[in-house]
Amino acid sequence: MEFKDYYQILGVDPAAEAKDIKAAYRKLARKYHPDVNPEAGAEDKFKEVAEAYEVLKDTNRRAEYDELRKYGGRPGGGFEPPPGWQSSAGADAGHFSGDFSDFFNSIFGGGFESGAGRSRRGFGIRGQDIEIEMPIFLEETLAETSKPINYQIPVYENGQVRQLKKSLKVKIPAGVAEGERIRLKGQGAPGEGDAPAGDLYLHIRLVPHPLFDVEGHNLLVTVPIAPWEAALGARVTVPTLDGRINLTIAPNSQSGQKLRVKGKGLVGKTGRGDLYAVLKVVMPKESGGEARELWQQLADKAAFDPRAEWSRQA
Amino acid sequence: MTTSTLQISIREFCECEGIPQGLVVAVVEHGIARPLSGAEAPEWVFDTASAGWIRKAIRLRRDLEVDWVAVAMVIDLLRQREQLQLENRRLRQRLQRFALEE
Repeated sequence: MEFKDYYQILGVDPAAEAKDIKAAYRKLARKYHPDVNPEAGAEDKFKEVAEAYEVLKDTNRRAEYDELRKYGGRPGGGFEPPPGWQSSAGADAGHFSGDFSDFFNSIFGGGFESGAGRSRRGFGIRGQDIEIEMPIFLEETLAETSKPINYQIPVYENGQVRQLKKSLKVKIPAGVAEGERIRLKGQGAPGEGDAPAGDLYLHIRLVPHPLFDVEGHNLLVTVPIAPWEAALGARVTVPTLDGRINLTIAPNSQSGQKLRVKGKGLVGKTGRGDLYAVLKVVMPKESGGEARELWQQLADKAAFDPRAEWSRQA
Repeated sequence: MTTSTLQISIREFCECEGIPQGLVVAVVEHGIARPLSGAEAPEWVFDTASAGWIRKAIRLRRDLEVDWVAVAMVIDLLRQREQLQLENRRLRQRLQRFALEE
């Protein structure tokens, strides 16, 4: 086991005063708290910092730690508590919610259990809540669907952590939205003793669709049209999440123009949203021969300056 | 088939988290989360998203040793950040449909 230099972790001098230790902890906690900092590694860093503070903020614990530091405190070197070592300061479960390191437990451990999201009830500790990401296709949100899920839960056995594979079939209610969490009661990690199991949370992630974009409960679909379709009007077939519809494009339509198709969006709490068809005028890759001549005729005859706005300002 | 739910009662929530109801009341009083239903605190029901924010608020207050007003501000900003990130992702996706590949 490696000796942990709590002073180094908090970036303070071993002779630092309590108020400086507090300030150093607060600064680092703000920076690395996993609820604020989504970066990978932030959570581990926060746990380390919180553990260091847990020891150094308490006068008795700090005194015991300082003693051990003199005894075996070479960072990087192997560390074993002295034979017969027993802490009188101990640890309290009041402040810190994370797991402590083996190093911490070897010094202050004994009769102390900790774990994020666990609580005591009767005998034993409630199982941990588990959260997994649940990718959902837009098509699947239109009606209630059932989906198989596979996940792993950590099981503690004789001080060891083992991953237990679990499979479930779950009902996903219609109209689930991005970021929503579905709670499956008692499907998390098993509790210790007679304590209840934790819950499983499915964090809904809408899979990006190759055709449709989401805006609240409305959907957007980009409809490519030819320049002459925009000019003369047309009737085009447009895909929706459930089937196809015919759409009338008015003469003289613009690129970027939105046409509303009522009730073809996503399922919401107050009914279905709408689908917006966004027109995108697309040019043919090449136009040679007769087509080119026709364009030329159009250029000569159409009195149209798309940049009229600019010349007025200049 | 397992029963899934998008809601949690204050009693269940406090049991799961091992916290007194007073903490949840404080979170609601500071406008960090609002119950879905229930007139009095013991009858409150939250959606799971609100429950997530309550959990975060309680953790932040404890771990950062800050008061509820500061926690409420942090949660507001975190919410805004989450919304902006989502909006940004969606706008980028839409933009790609109009921009040409180089």
